[in-house]
Amino acid sequence: MKILLILGLLLCYSFVSSSGDTTIHTNNWAVLVCTSRFWFNYRHMANTLSLYRTVKRLGIPDERIILMLADDMACNARNEYPAQVFNNENHKLNLYGDNVEVDYRGYEVTVENFLRVLTGRHENAVPRSKRLLSDEGSHILLYMTGHGGDEFLKFQDAEELQSHDLADAVKQMKEKRRFKELMIMVDTCQAATLFNQLQSPGVLAIGSSLKGENSYSHHLDSDIGVSVVDRFTYYTLAFFERLNIYDNASLNSLFRSYDPRLLMSTAYYRTDLYQPHLVELWRPFILIQLTKPSQVKSPIVRAIPRCHSINFPSTMQTSQMMS
Amino acid sequence: MDNTDGRNLRSSESWNHAGRPFITTSVLFSFLLGVPFLWKSVEIYRSPLPFHDIDSLSDQIESTPLRFPCNFHAVFVGFRSTDPDNLRSQIQDGINQLTHQNSQCGSCNFSLSVTVQNRDDQCSETLAHSSTTCSYRCGVIKRNVFGVGVDDTVDESLNDVFSGCSEESGKMYSVVVVNKENANGEDEVKAVVGKGRHAWIVGNGLEERYGDMVARVSEIFVKVFMNGGREEDSIQGEFMPVGSDGRIVLSFSLLNSNPRDWVYDWDFQRIDEALLAPVTKALAPIANISVESQVLYHTPKSSFSSWDKKLQSYIFRTSALPFFVNSNEWHLDTSAGASGRSKILQFVVYIPSGKECPLLLQLPNGEISKTNGFISPIWGGVIVWNPGNCDKDSESSSRNTISPQDLEQIVEIFLGQFRQLFGFKSEAFYTSGLGTYKILPSDRGFTEWELDVLSTKHTCFNLHSCSTTLGSLSRLVRSLPRMIIKDEIGEQVKYSLKAAKLAQSNASLGEYSSSASSSREARSLAENAFFHPSIMSVSYFSYEHCFAVYSPFFLPVAGHVVLAALREWKRYKQEKAKYLTWLTRKKTA
Repeated sequence: MKILLILGLLLCYSFVSSSGDTTIHTNNWAVLVCTSRFWFNYRHMANTLSLYRTVKRLGIPDERIILMLADDMACNARNEYPAQVFNNENHKLNLYGDNVEVDYRGYEVTVENFLRVLTGRHENAVPRSKRLLSDEGSHILLYMTGHGGDEFLKFQDAEELQSHDLADAVKQMKEKRRFKELMIMVDTCQAATLFNQLQSPGVLAIGSSLKGENSYSHHLDSDIGVSVVDRFTYYTLAFFERLNIYDNASLNSLFRSYDPRLLMSTAYYRTDLYQPHLVELWRPFILIQLTKPSQVKSPIVRAIPRCHSINFPSTMQTSQMMS
Repeated sequence: MDNTDGRNLRSSESWNHAGRPFITTSVLFSFLLGVPFLWKSVEIYRSPLPFHDIDSLSDQIESTPLRFPCNFHAVFVGFRSTDPDNLRSQIQDGINQLTHQNSQCGSCNFSLSVTVQNRDDQCSETLAHSSTTCSYRCGVIKRNVFGVGVDDTVDESLNDVFSGCSEESGKMYSVVVVNKENANGEDEVKAVVGKGRHAWIVGNGLEERYGDMVARVSEIFVKVFMNGGREEDSIQGEFMPVGSDGRIVLSFSLLNSNPRDWVYDWDFQRIDEALLAPVTKALAPIANISVESQVLYHTPKSSFSSWDKKLQSYIFRTSALPFFVNSNEWHLDTSAGASGRSKILQFVVYIPSGKECPLLLQLPNGEISKTNGFISPIWGGVIVWNPGNCDKDSESSSRNTISPQDLEQIVEIFLGQFRQLFGFKSEAFYTSGLGTYKILPSDRGFTEWELDVLSTKHTCFNLHSCSTTLGSLSRLVRSLPRMIIKDEIGEQVKYSLKAAKLAQSNASLGEYSSSASSSREARSLAENAFFHPSIMSVSYFSYEHCFAVYSPFFLPVAGHVVLAALREWKRYKQEKAKYLTWLTRKKTA
């Protein structure tokens, strides 16, 4: 049997990667980690779930998101609204609504498992949905929230992730070419100290506060009884709510949107590990790079699938974040 | 008085001499004796890794890129007065110019031989070396075979001529240039690359423009046989879809986007046995391929299409392609057979719903794509298949099966996409500045020479990846002196190095497929060693931690024992001094 002779010519766009090396950007991943237990840390869970929802809305599918939640707030006995998690006291948006896929839950969220996810050293029996299957063209967003301090992040109230552990894991990821660009976003107290030992190129780090500063929660929901969202995450989400999957935005505009008076801390970002000219350019944020034109080749069109979710009813999104 | 004193003194002294210091020092020495045992018990087991060999392998791969021996043979048929030596040097120059004299990994260490056969079937030749089995028997190629029949018959006959040459060191690639002297004198020159390792150029009056012919011959050798018709690129990871354990899983999915309109099924078993098995077998040295399939329902796409009145169909453009794959509804990654490190390539057949039927892809230049499909590197490919008449009223809601002819067409497009995922073109032409070459497709998906190119490129990539992985592993192990290295890791590193050496030696002998499979093994073993789950730096004590763990046990007790021994030593010295003064006093008294 013969293959059909396939005819036709097409144009070929060339996608020039702006990071200067020869790999092209193939896919986007997100690793979202909430490290706190107990009911009074409700806001950390809400932070992570809000970011999960945003990331899905902007186009990263579940199979490329690793969501680690250290405790279960939705089904907690103290939750007056069972199976619902809110990040705003107007309760307009249920974060735990439909299609939430948690990969590591409860006591599985440990420093060891977290580092295994980053470095890829799992036991053979670990299923694919729990692995970070990125390749050398992946852009990864790593978001961590919880309680932290000077050069550490507390996991589950029992152990700590040190800054050198994180730096070591990132170094190994870079050696094994598991990412093209990595963006680390941390919302804890003294978050910037966690990046002190990072040295691998291609890493962008954003922390919610400097050494000696605390990061605060945004507001208290008197109905639920605890604070429901942190300030840094609140303003980050406010920035993303203005975007949809077709937009381009730059990192600089994200940085500029942080107001230290509203945050009550100084948002810190470390860009020295990027090539310097990049940050000045109008460079799309990694999530929104989904919309760059695909490479088209003859005769079968060649494209990079930027998968995106069904549009959630977006009417409820815009107003409640600003309230 | 004196005596009793002396007796008391003596007895107490004798006790002091022998008793207390003895006890304390014996306790101290027993502690000191135990220290080697303690040291041994906190010693960690580290399997010795051959660091020196790893370093030398990576140095070797960096400095001397791997080159494969190949034999090039050019046959000029119907040429009267050309000198084969001259031709040989010209072709050699042409080849050197095209390869820019650079020796990239996977390039050919070639030896060139030229044969000229004139119209009376007499030959003059220059041979690169005396190769007895591969010498071309003069007169076997007849001019009248060319240009008459279909290209396939020509290909078959050339295959018979050149097929005896596969046992040599390196493969033999042949180009036949046929000069026909037709009365009707068409000026056109046809160049075809066959399914085996041969190509031919046919035309009229070629002798006059033999400079052109020499250039085209060099181009075929370099651009087609050495590079596989791809652009000159370094080893790009986006076209190496083989997983790090050497396996690829081809996952075929049939998506019924709206089962209320129509439901389709396919006889995948037949496709697998008849059409995919030869391809899988042909690629066996490069990857261990397994095939899975599933049928999904209720899978709408998430991009938009518009109705085009002229074409009477729904059009989606290339700008909508990035949003076509709807990962929230398309649960494609459900493979049960793929392990953590295999690569899954998704091939999707999308059947549009009644509201969007027929759905056609419009290319940027305005034409409608004939294949209605697209690929994404490393991920896979999508084909949109429109059911026959798109008439949903007449379709019953029972299951329909895609007809065998349609299925064959779909599989042909799949194979084209599969080729594209490996970096080859899916079209059957190669165009360059000098002209167009027609490429005959093979029913195994890849022709012999394409498989050779794949083998060499993958060997290079795998060896490079293996050496960098092993290098990373050795750096990591050396930076953590207190991490346990299990035997398993040491074994895997050893076997990986052995397989890499085997791949290199096979490559130098010209055994393409065995070097590809050894290099695949080397890479997979190196990755297994690097990703071994026991290498977790957070689990192992540094020296500070070790000290911090053991000091609360031993320091307090050891402190007391040492202090006691020191005190006893001081006291012994004092008592000794006293005894000596008493002795001297007694003597003087």
